[in-house]
Amino acid sequence: MICVDVDTYLQAYVDGELAGVDREMIERHLVACPSCATRVRLEARFKAAVRAHLPRPVVPLALKLRLDEVLASQKIAPLRWPWLSYPRLVPAAAALVLLVAITGTVRQSQSGLLQQAQRSYRAEMPMDITGSDCGSIASWFRGRLDFSMHAPALGGGTTCQGGRLVNVGEHPAAYLVYRMQTGHRVAFLVFDARDQSLEAPERRVVNGREIYVEAGPGISTATYRDRGLGYVVTSDIDEDTLTRLVTTSFGR
Amino acid sequence: MKRRPQQSDFEREALPHLGALYAAALRMTRNERDAEDLVQDALLRAYRFFDTFQAGTNCKAWLFRILTNAFCNRYREREREQVVLSEAESSPANLEQFLGGSGADGRDAESALLGQMVSADVEKALAAVPSDFRMAVILADLEDFSYKEIAEIMDCPAGTVMSRLFRGRKILQGLLRQYAVEQGIIRETSEGNSKATSADGAADAAKTLAEAPVDLAAYRLRRDRGGAG
Repeated sequence: MICVDVDTYLQAYVDGELAGVDREMIERHLVACPSCATRVRLEARFKAAVRAHLPRPVVPLALKLRLDEVLASQKIAPLRWPWLSYPRLVPAAAALVLLVAITGTVRQSQSGLLQQAQRSYRAEMPMDITGSDCGSIASWFRGRLDFSMHAPALGGGTTCQGGRLVNVGEHPAAYLVYRMQTGHRVAFLVFDARDQSLEAPERRVVNGREIYVEAGPGISTATYRDRGLGYVVTSDIDEDTLTRLVTTSFGR
Repeated sequence: MKRRPQQSDFEREALPHLGALYAAALRMTRNERDAEDLVQDALLRAYRFFDTFQAGTNCKAWLFRILTNAFCNRYREREREQVVLSEAESSPANLEQFLGGSGADGRDAESALLGQMVSADVEKALAAVPSDFRMAVILADLEDFSYKEIAEIMDCPAGTVMSRLFRGRKILQGLLRQYAVEQGIIRETSEGNSKATSADGAADAAKTLAEAPVDLAAYRLRRDRGGAG
């Protein structure tokens, strides 16, 4: 081995990646070559020094809390076809599928929908697409949803922030986030409402449309149906302001 | 039959790596808010697909692969850092000065340049290293992943890992040296520069390595045929 060859091996040697004949050859060379030995020593010292200067930062408490909340709201995906390993269960599973097909589609309860929307809102989930152009965000969902969707247009200087693909029941749905001029966040969960019940405790009729309103601790929710799609709107503004905001989208 | 993984399995296997994931995410995104979102996104994906994780294998590497994928999909597009930094790269001569002497003259390690710099300088220098090289340095030097694991995490051949790591470290050394000159810790000398350009052709080697993966197999073949050694 000559000094030029050490260039090939130097980092791997310092990183402990060499074994056997490769390691023996470089070590034989290092004994005979003070220049290369110095380079190896310096590289190792540099690596150790950088590490010593870059300690691990403390994980923010807010992140831990967000993770707790987000993980509690999700499920680990089921094993792929695990029942196939139980042959006797196959006829029973087939019968269950048939029963569901006969009696109707499995529905997600209304309270489940509201909880999902509120959890997502609190968790401030990262967006799949970000930007202030609502049209571009709606375009991003094209082909990803089972339905076509337009981002609701809100007045009063409220702008789009981003969108995320989520599930409602077994179907893909859109989660859109807006920012009001006042700084409040408003989130729309848009989904195929054909199999969903949308009733909520308080029913209001505005401009001939039914809006179901729920005022929770710190979060208000408005739910409505429009052209076959369901909308659950969540924000930290009061329910009256939220109702007015939602109503502005009806005429646009 | 394989048991369906539970939330408690995930908490036991994955959550102990939260600190490492956050540290890497922070140094990849260079922004606390983005780092939190990236870690949350990666852990949520890992959780939802935890049934695909094989118990007994390296969970930390599995999580880092998910984190790296999420980073590439989400944040790398934003990066506008493809600045040519070759002029900032280091050479063995720089490294001697940087670490306080060649060792041959027995200078005290306390006088080492890196000892005089604060962590913030090193963080700043690392943040300025382009993302592919920075990622390799983070995974190898801060998280102790092997080349094979890094290759799997970054989805590239081991030779590419070696070249990215080599280049990343050289850029980091060069940037730190620049900061040291700016802060007056060391003086820019014509001697240092001349050393830098003549020292074993290492700068040329760095440029060559930046363009092509390190090919240890080719070297070994040449060596075994008697063409090297």
